[in-house]
Amino acid sequence: MTLTALLASVLEQSTPILLAALAAMITLRANILNVAVEGMMLAAAFTAIAVGGWSGSALQGFLAAIVVAILFSQLLALLTLRFSADFIVAGLGINLLAAGGTLFILERYYNSPGGLRPIAFPEIWHIPVGSLSRIPVIGPAFEDQSIIVLIAILAVPLSYVFLYHTPLGSNLRAAGEDEHAARSAGIRIERMKALSLAISGLLAGLAGAQLAMDKLHFFLPDMTSGRGFIGLAATLFGGGLPWMTTAAAVLFGFFGALGDRLQVFAIPSQFVLMLPYLAAILGLTFARWRIHLRNRPAKVTDESA
Amino acid sequence: MTASLLDVLRAIRAPVAAILLTLAIGFLLVASITDEPVRAYRDLLFANFDSLSNFALFLNRATPLTLIALGVVFAFRAGIFNVGGEGQLYAGAITTTVIGIAGASMPAIVLFPLALLGGIAAGAVVGWVPGVLKVRLAVDEVVTTLMLNIIVLLITSWLANQVIRDTTAYGAVSWMVPETIWLPPMPLVPRATSGFLVAVVLAFASWVVLFRTRWGAEVRAAGTNLRFAEATGVPAARRVITAMVVAGGLAGLAGSLYVLGVGHRFEQNFSPAYGLVGLTCALLARTHPIGALATALFYAMMLNGAAYMQISTDVPRSLVNLLTGLLVLLMTARLVRAARHA
Repeated sequence: MTLTALLASVLEQSTPILLAALAAMITLRANILNVAVEGMMLAAAFTAIAVGGWSGSALQGFLAAIVVAILFSQLLALLTLRFSADFIVAGLGINLLAAGGTLFILERYYNSPGGLRPIAFPEIWHIPVGSLSRIPVIGPAFEDQSIIVLIAILAVPLSYVFLYHTPLGSNLRAAGEDEHAARSAGIRIERMKALSLAISGLLAGLAGAQLAMDKLHFFLPDMTSGRGFIGLAATLFGGGLPWMTTAAAVLFGFFGALGDRLQVFAIPSQFVLMLPYLAAILGLTFARWRIHLRNRPAKVTDESA
Repeated sequence: MTASLLDVLRAIRAPVAAILLTLAIGFLLVASITDEPVRAYRDLLFANFDSLSNFALFLNRATPLTLIALGVVFAFRAGIFNVGGEGQLYAGAITTTVIGIAGASMPAIVLFPLALLGGIAAGAVVGWVPGVLKVRLAVDEVVTTLMLNIIVLLITSWLANQVIRDTTAYGAVSWMVPETIWLPPMPLVPRATSGFLVAVVLAFASWVVLFRTRWGAEVRAAGTNLRFAEATGVPAARRVITAMVVAGGLAGLAGSLYVLGVGHRFEQNFSPAYGLVGLTCALLARTHPIGALATALFYAMMLNGAAYMQISTDVPRSLVNLLTGLLVLLMTARLVRAARHA
């Protein structure tokens, strides 16, 4: 029973991180370090609550969230690909714009800078309680999870198939790996990068929608609290490979779920929350270190001595 | 003379255009909200000079921004994309606070330099790590600086909440550092930190160091093309690492001076994303030290002006956050484009 509860908690914590990680992964394969996932998630979370609360329809809130996140991703694409802005700076600009924009709208139109809590909010579809009770341990953990959790789980094999088993996916990877070669092979680099950003927006939109619509039904100005960056860390730790990235995201979600419980062992939660970021730095360093060792020129040994 | 003036004009054309465009968009937004858009904009830009105390707050705001922007300038000139200003700032602030509190019984003449140097050293270490990883192992510095930001913020959050928390105060704030090591206020402007003078002096010093010394020339050479610099006998890798240590040290100094001169304690939320705004200032100034001082002053004006604007009209102060986002988006577009044509 407690295993089921832990599993459910890990699923819940991992889903936004997993979606954010896949969002960062798809652009990383097109050679874009996407630091804007955080901002796109935030904009989506806000839109989900604002539109969902206003229309009374969960579906409309859900779709609006995704549309807004994709719009943000295309704004980033426009500025970077069309006006050759720097991806990092423009990405950070997107984050600032999302944070500032949502706060501005909260203050100006809702008159509540602290957050947005609609009195009534429609429920997004959750797996009915009791429907999976026949499957031991795992089944009950999935009960009462939102549809977005299922979408996130589906997104993993989908992204794998897309990247490795479709022409479009290989073109996207080619554009990321060697721009000049890809260009001379007739691949339209800008279009591939814009596409990867659009998919990234879609996934980040799902992540934001999950954060806001699953259990909470409200929006807070700092709601994403670094999950976009944890996702980025998971992608980097996973080397941009779908399965490894997923594993890293779930591991980080597990740390998150564990974080609250670990205080029992007198470990401050901050140190648990730190793990994904430390893991990303150490993982990257280790990967580069191995390459470094491999590429090191052979040592000239003095055989006469 | 006119030729160099033209050069300067050409150099600042793009960033000035980005600022003007952002301000214009902001004006349209403000005009849609309030009947007095001109009043709102006057407050946003000039209310800082209405009274001496407003002016003091303005200088206090400009101090950390200038120092962080200078740090970013050093890093960028060495070819490192330093997004880690926030982490380096926090490392400096918390270290100064911890030393100040732990050494409260020491005489001020010992404690003050200890706390100040401790803060600078902590920032420098946080800058050193991504520098070394970048130069020795080619680990992407954007990632490491971004991740280090969050790591440092979590460490300070733990210290401020659990270890040195002022249990009598509200929120995550530390105990006060002893009054004997407080930075004296600036002459003529009461309540303004004299740290501002330090920032101004360092801005000019940075210009001299970067553009009028051999070391600065080597740093810039390393930043332009590391392997070429290395091939011509410049110890480029070492220069890059040192530049990152300097960058971190400047941001650490910003945190240290804030604690000693303004806050007198560590507050977990003392920075309204100074790291990012400092980066913005440095980029707007096209990584020129004197320019960075100017853009930092401009930004301090806007950040504080937004509060006055909110009081006098009903325009939310978060307008500035929105405008910052716009500005960052617009300015880089111009920056890179102009650089490519040059």
